[in-house]
Amino acid sequence: MELSESVQKGFQMLADPRSFDSNAFTLLLRAAFQSLLDAQADEAVLDHPDLKHIDPVVLKHCHAAAATYILEAGKHRADKSTLSTYLEDCKFDRERIELFCTEYQNNKNSLEILLGSIGRSLPHITDVSWRLEYQIKTNQLHRMYRPAYLVTLSVQNTDSPSYPEISFSCSMEQLQDLVGKLKDASKSLERATQL
Amino acid sequence: MLLELSEEHKEHLAFLPQVDSAGKLNVSSDTVQHGVEGLTYLLTESSKLMISELDFQDSVFVLGFSEELNKLLLQLYLDNRKEIRTILSELAPSLPSYHNLEWRLDVQLASRSLRQQIKPAVTIKLHLNQNGDHNTKVLQTDPATLLHLVQQLEQALEEMKTNHCRRVVRNIK
Repeated sequence: MELSESVQKGFQMLADPRSFDSNAFTLLLRAAFQSLLDAQADEAVLDHPDLKHIDPVVLKHCHAAAATYILEAGKHRADKSTLSTYLEDCKFDRERIELFCTEYQNNKNSLEILLGSIGRSLPHITDVSWRLEYQIKTNQLHRMYRPAYLVTLSVQNTDSPSYPEISFSCSMEQLQDLVGKLKDASKSLERATQL
Repeated sequence: MLLELSEEHKEHLAFLPQVDSAGKLNVSSDTVQHGVEGLTYLLTESSKLMISELDFQDSVFVLGFSEELNKLLLQLYLDNRKEIRTILSELAPSLPSYHNLEWRLDVQLASRSLRQQIKPAVTIKLHLNQNGDHNTKVLQTDPATLLHLVQQLEQALEEMKTNHCRRVVRNIK
């Protein structure tokens, strides 16, 4: 994990009980996790009365350092020993290391879900709807009498917030072909997961 | 159901018996064109309405052609009816139609924002046709959604076998 000097400096300040007493340390730590993971996080997450006595510049620096470190640790799936080593290097005492690791462990799953959801991917199919109709005639062709399906795939795009849909028509045979191929794919998936 | 031929149509088709079997035509290009148009109209309307053999024969009878020519026209109709109907069906308003589906299993191992992942996905290439244009769309889905898609579409196929649909198919003719 590559961490900048700024992060290290921020942590060194956090380690110092003269700058951050136990209570302030815990509050800042929680604030860092909250601002990363809580979608509705208040911008005023650092506005707690017990943090008022600390220089706002120092507060922001340490908050940013903590948040940066948490993201890097999450990205690389850091284990407890990696975390401990780094925090020791930043002069954290045993108690603060334990606190950090506990908070990290509590929030690990949410963190990994968040990080995993960032990134580009192909348009993702989320749902399908279908319509069965019986075609009787058109103005060009009478006495048709054949069933037809209209299938609509709901798609989610990472690039744009829009939710386009892909619609197409198919005959019964074509739908059987489509379903057959999708079933092949899911059987293949099942076999692969059993390896 | 009889095919209704207007006077104009009958005039155009009146040219047909004059066609020399040797192939040389001694008439104006206009007459030939009308003749072809008349014949086209006769065949496409018959195919569109899917009129029976008997009805076709009766419709053509009013033109006063020879027995031989009538037989020829009937054969022409029966031989080409299916293809003409296929072509006519392509003229209807249409949506993209399904052509083919290709799939691939992928597992995402890492991304810029998260390492050491095992994220299975199914990548799908959907081939669609519209008005002769071939279109492909590349899409992705996860295993759970794939199962959901299969289940939903199988239900769709099952619908045709229900009593309700069978009754409709039987009774609308």
